[in-house]
Amino acid sequence: MGEAAPGEVTQVAAATSSQDPEVGLAAVAALRGLVEVLEALQVENARAKGWSWQQIAGKLGVTKQAVHHKYASRRFGFRRS
Amino acid sequence: MRVVQWSERTHRVLDLAWQETARFGHHYLGPEHLVLGVLRDDGSGAARVLEARGVDLAAARAALGRLADRGVVAGPRPSDAELLGMLGIDLEAIRRSTEQAFGGMAVGWAIREATRARGRGGGRVPRTPLGEPPMLISQALQHAGEQARALGLGVVGPELLLLGVVTDIRTPWPRCMRTRWTRQLHASVGLPEGYRGAAGPLLQACGVDLEELGAALVAALGAGVP
Repeated sequence: MGEAAPGEVTQVAAATSSQDPEVGLAAVAALRGLVEVLEALQVENARAKGWSWQQIAGKLGVTKQAVHHKYASRRFGFRRS
Repeated sequence: MRVVQWSERTHRVLDLAWQETARFGHHYLGPEHLVLGVLRDDGSGAARVLEARGVDLAAARAALGRLADRGVVAGPRPSDAELLGMLGIDLEAIRRSTEQAFGGMAVGWAIREATRARGRGGGRVPRTPLGEPPMLISQALQHAGEQARALGLGVVGPELLLLGVVTDIRTPWPRCMRTRWTRQLHASVGLPEGYRGAAGPLLQACGVDLEELGAALVAALGAGVP
């Protein structure tokens, strides 16, 4: 099954429940990739609107150190000139 | 340094190579797909050089299929959109709504921010469903450009692209391509540990002598051996 017929991959996805770790874990990884982008987008937006790290951390449910450590070094902030 | 451009034909080969990734259920573009892309683009000098060595599209596809069975490259996998769909998440709807709310530039920035390699411990995520599938052909492209400059050519056609692939096979990857981040990226698209492009195994499975192929491509470019 090295070479997938057209549509076969879709069927694989549809037919396999996430009880299969191979698919379930890949789905979680995709979700994490999505979450990281949405978080970066929201944190940058909040900072641009003048929110403090404390306020952002409160909403994300993490410590302000955690959110600062993760985002203070962000590069090329798209709203900062 | 002289700027090297891609020919229209090279752009077409890239498009065709992407089509081949879909055929194999791959969610990355590797040098092995470039070989198939070259073969799909009938009539180019590069395709003729390969065909003269007994490599045709059917044989190369079969060889890549066998490499996937052996685990040298990834097997067919569901796409991120399909995986998220299983969780009830509509990836396209999220893409649309975030781009509407924040603009494409901001989303592009957030993708780079979330996936960029960091000094310690690699990136947060190697890749995101909102980004493009990874192109793991940087080394082949760099070699193609270098060969173009060495031969005094300003445009990279399929011959030079294939020559870049052949040079890449015969050159160890630099340190920057063997970081934790690249390992994570490779794993995230289902590639085995130690993957460094599968064009070499693919061409070898087709019985190609790489040294001779490289020389034939240089000859086809109508220039002396660099």
